[in-house]
This record gives sequence, structure tokens and C-alpha cells, in this order.
Amino acid sequence: MDSPPLIRDDEVFLRMNLAERIQHWVLIGTFFLLIITGLPLFFYDVRIFRWLIPSGRSFAVRGVIHRVAALLMIANVIAHVVYTATTHRGRENFKAMIPRWQDVKDAVGLFGYNLGLSRFLYRHGFGRKFFNHRPYWLFENRPLYGRYNFIEKFEYWALAWGTAVMIVSGFFMWNVELSLRLFPLWVHDIFIIVHGYEAILAFLAVIIWHMYNVHLSPEVFPMSKVWLNGKITGRDLRLLHPLEYERILEERRKTLSTEVL
Amino acid sequence: MTRGEAKRVCTLSWAVLVLLPFALAAPQTDADCLACHEDKELKSETGRAMSVDRAGFEMSIHGQAGISCVDCHLDLRKTKDYPHDSLLNPVSCGECHEAALREFATSIHQKASAEGQARIAVGCKDCHGSHEIRPKDDFDSLTFPLNLPATCEKCHLEAVPSKKGAGFIGGYNRSAHFKALEKSGLTMSANCSHCHGAHNITAVADPGSLVSRKNIIKTCGTCHVGIQKSYLEGVHGLDYVKGIKDVPVCTDCHSEHDILSPEDVNSSVYATKVAQVCSRCHDDLALSRQYGFLTSRLKTYSESFHGTAARFGEIRVANCASCHGYHDIRASSDPKSTIHKNNLPATCGQCHPGASRHFAEGRVHSSPEQVETAKYRASHVVKNVYVIIISVIIVVMVIFIAADFLRRILREEKRG
Repeated sequence: MDSPPLIRDDEVFLRMNLAERIQHWVLIGTFFLLIITGLPLFFYDVRIFRWLIPSGRSFAVRGVIHRVAALLMIANVIAHVVYTATTHRGRENFKAMIPRWQDVKDAVGLFGYNLGLSRFLYRHGFGRKFFNHRPYWLFENRPLYGRYNFIEKFEYWALAWGTAVMIVSGFFMWNVELSLRLFPLWVHDIFIIVHGYEAILAFLAVIIWHMYNVHLSPEVFPMSKVWLNGKITGRDLRLLHPLEYERILEERRKTLSTEVL
Repeated sequence: MTRGEAKRVCTLSWAVLVLLPFALAAPQTDADCLACHEDKELKSETGRAMSVDRAGFEMSIHGQAGISCVDCHLDLRKTKDYPHDSLLNPVSCGECHEAALREFATSIHQKASAEGQARIAVGCKDCHGSHEIRPKDDFDSLTFPLNLPATCEKCHLEAVPSKKGAGFIGGYNRSAHFKALEKSGLTMSANCSHCHGAHNITAVADPGSLVSRKNIIKTCGTCHVGIQKSYLEGVHGLDYVKGIKDVPVCTDCHSEHDILSPEDVNSSVYATKVAQVCSRCHDDLALSRQYGFLTSRLKTYSESFHGTAARFGEIRVANCASCHGYHDIRASSDPKSTIHKNNLPATCGQCHPGASRHFAEGRVHSSPEQVETAKYRASHVVKNVYVIIISVIIVVMVIFIAADFLRRILREEKRG
């Protein structure tokens, strides 16, 4: 009766291949270089930045590092786009990354589940009729995610949007003479504001959202190692990405049955 | 006795009669004085050194002119008994130097003496020396331009404290003026007396003082003529002429004694420090209300790339003076102003080659309430929108994460 499981808990799957990990590593490096060399302009009065950039010369070096890091990041973006467009795996990843209505439902579902208010009300006899008809709103279980959950999709698309905004505004700030040949000063001023505030948003989003989900979350604490070795175990796949797990299981069942036939 | 002989006798008698009293009263030659006073050990009863350096005196302007001891020490003219009375009247230089005495009578040095503030009483010899006085163009003269600062600083460095604090006067020794004197020997470079006057020195508060607000522009302008002219054409100069007290004069921006070249990193008008100097007035709310100019100049400048970079010590970025000019700063409404909208492309073009008219289509370091054209406020609107978006996103994220975190912890506990 007990056939060996189609996916063992200790089986290793490749979640990020080397190319994807390299893209991520370069992104981490350039992102933090850009933050460190950019934030001082926003918080010009903070002592730690005055310590970090003690003189006019180091300020100029800061500018050079910022631009070099920006170029590296742009190169990374281009590599990512080419990789995504030209490889099968890249295209599959991209398809899985496309936001769907289900992601909104998942987000609401997770928050509702975490809050537990619906369950509490239901248990105490409130709105039974409503919840019996619409069991989704009861939030009885965590939503089940596929290859990429709404958290990861949000991160990815926020990053994509942010990067685009930063590249465009940064380009015109770098080439201020060109910018002012094309636009009036008040438009250039918007580039400057956008570049600064978008950076703050990106920084806070990464620090709060991403750091929670890959470090602090009890699911992965102290750190998900996917970004280092790219590996995910069958067990983690079942727990964190159940729909992807199901899909793989289904595929194997099919292969098995065709083999049997 | 021939007629001729009689005449000779007569003449001789007259000569004896006339000269005899002098001959009897005489110590009279310098040699007589120096017989005692050349002794280097000679001291009065109170222990004061009484020796006179013969060589020094002979080389002095008075010695060279053949003026003898008793020409100055008048009360010794009639003294016969030696050693003479030890207390002599002070020498009165004004007997000969009448003009100098008149000038000196109005000076703070004279006033101090008259009011009995003995500690700071100053006489001629305190600055000029006594027996060894040299002409003022003599290298060794105490009042030779290269030596004058040290002469004044004998008292003014420490003994006579300035109301502006210790080291205020010593600041001169770091100044560009002193450097020019000391390093290059440029005697036309300002020393104490160029700015403060010499015999007629008065306190700054005295309107007659060369360094009073009323006169300082003229005083600095004695050498810096072109700058004086340019200053008087600018807004500050125009108001200065009207007698407005709050308007900055030379010393308000350049400091007083320790004036340095703008290229010197310690100068108050060094590229990265200009903003602090200007904002002393231009960030002052009371002054801005009184004279109707914009405030928050330092804040808005600091927020700009120029200002931020300057704060970190970058000198290649624009500071106040790069765009507004300095001595002849004009209102932006003045067609001659460097920041008049027709001139902005040229002004910005100094650093941004090919700067177009677009440079003038916006507001540089403005607060939103100070911008009258709606579209020029766009960046302020974008900023506010961002602040709202960021706040909302962060709050939502934190709530979302907190809920997730607590739920997982609670579930873990239940299981455990």
C-alpha cells in the first residue's frame, strides 16, 4: 500500500538558478551602494553621514560611486530582461510573476487569517448566514500560494517600478544640462524630488517588507538560504508554495501513470 | 684805543653778557648727560632703569637732527646740581609735534589717560619709543608698517582685553592683510593704523572712528576702491547710504581682524561657508519681515544639491555668491541682477555650459508659499504626495507584518 512518496520532504528543488542568484547578488550590492551614497543627500544633517563623508573630495567620490553603482544596476536590469526573454525558465518565471486577481484575494485572505476576527465572530454566533454562504470571508486557513506568492510579486513589481523611476529621474539629474534643454526647471525639480522620495520608499520597503519576509518571519528565521544556494526542500515547497508543489506532484503522477501504461 | 679796537671790545662784552647765563646754567651738552646715563646699571631710587643707549639715540631721528637731551627734558635746562632731581616732568612731544598732539587729544588713548584709567593710559613713547625713535619709514621704527602690529599688540594682545573676547585682536595675525605684510613685506597692506588711524584712534562705537559703521566702507575703500564702488551700487550699498543700520558692511561678512582670502578654508566667505554668513540675516524672521525679503534661505539652499554638496565641503558647487554676486548683489527684479530671469541662463551657464532659457522657468530654492506661479509649485506637490504615499504604504506594511508575526508566534505557542 505504502508506495514511496512522489516528492520526498528532503528532496532538493532549484528555486533560483545561478544566473538568477547572480542577478540578485548584483542587485543587493548596487542597491546598498546606491542607498549609502545617496541617502546623505537626503539627510544632509545627520551626523553619521557627515562622518562617512568628511570632506568635499570624499563627497565627489561619493558621486562617482553612486553613478558607477547605477550603471551596474542598469546593466543588471538589462541582463535580467534579456535572461527573462530568452530562456525558457525565464519566461516561465515571468508568467508565474504576472499579478492576478487571486493575489489580491490572497493578500486579503492572509491578513484576514492573521487577524482572526471573522473566525472569532463566527464562533460567537455573529453573521453565521453570511459566512456559511461565503466561506472565503471566514479566513479559516492561510491562502495557498503558487510559485510566487503575492508578497514576492509585490516586491518584484515594486522593484521594477522603482528602478524605472530611479533610472529615468537619475539619468536627467546626471545630465542636468540635457534635462534643462528638454524641460523647464520646474520639471527638473520634480525629477529631483521623485529620485529622493522614491529612494526613501524603496529603502523602507526593502528594510521592512523584504527583510521581514526573508529574515524575521518565523517561517524562515533567521534567513531563507535560497538567495545563497538557490535550493528549496520538498518540505518547504509543500509548506510555502503548496500550489507549485501540487503541480509538480501532478506532473509526476502523470509521468508515472504513462510509464505504468 | 682805536676805533676798531673799541668796537671789538664792545662786541665781545655783548657776547659775554648775552651768553654768560647760558654758560653758567649749562649741563648742557649731551655728553654731560651721558656721562652718567650711559651707565647701563643706572637706576632711580624706585628702581627704574635710567640708562640711555648712546648709539640708539645718536641714530634716532632726533639725534640725527642734532636735538639734544635738554630740548626735550626741558626742566633740566636750568639745573646746575648733579645728580639732578630724580623726578622730571614728562617730556611733552607736543611742544614741537603740535598737529600730532591735537589729533591725540581726541583719541581713546588720551581719553583713557585723562579719565585716570592708568592701566591703559598711553603716551607718545608707548608707541614711538623714547630715545631711539626712528622715522616711520625706517625699518627699525616701531611704527614702520611691518613693525606696527607688534607695537600695538604689546598691549592689545593680552593686557587690554577686547569686548569681543580674547584673541579677537590677535586674529589680525592670521589675516590676509598681515600675511601680505609679513610674508611679502607689502607695506601698503592694511596694518592697525590704516583702518584705525594713528594719533586720533577712537572706539568703534564713536561715529567719528574710521572703523565705525558710518566710515568703514570708506576706510576699506581707501585701498579696495573698486569694491567700494561696486558695493555702493548693490542693494546693500544703496541701503547703507540711506543710513539703514541692519545692512551688512564689509566687516559683517569678511569679519574684522582675521580677514582672509575667500580661497582660504578658514575664511568666513570660503565657498562652503558663505551660506552661513548670508543666512545670519537672510534666515532672520524679524529682519525679513522688516525689510520684506524671503526667509528660509539656508534651509532651502541646503536641501538643494548645491547646498547639500557645499555642506559636505564640496567647493565646486554654487554658493550664494556664485549666483547672486557678492559686493553688488541686486534684487532679482533689477535687469542688471545676475539672477534676473533674462540673465539666469548666463549665470547658470558659468557652470552648466549651454544653459538655456529653461533654467529660468522655475524657482530656485523656494518654499512652496513663496512661489506664486502654480506650475512652479509642482515639485512641492509631488513631494507632499510622496510623503502621503510613503506614510500609508509603510503603515500598511507594518500592520500587515505585525499581524503575520503575532499570528505565527501565537500558533507556535499553542503548538508548544
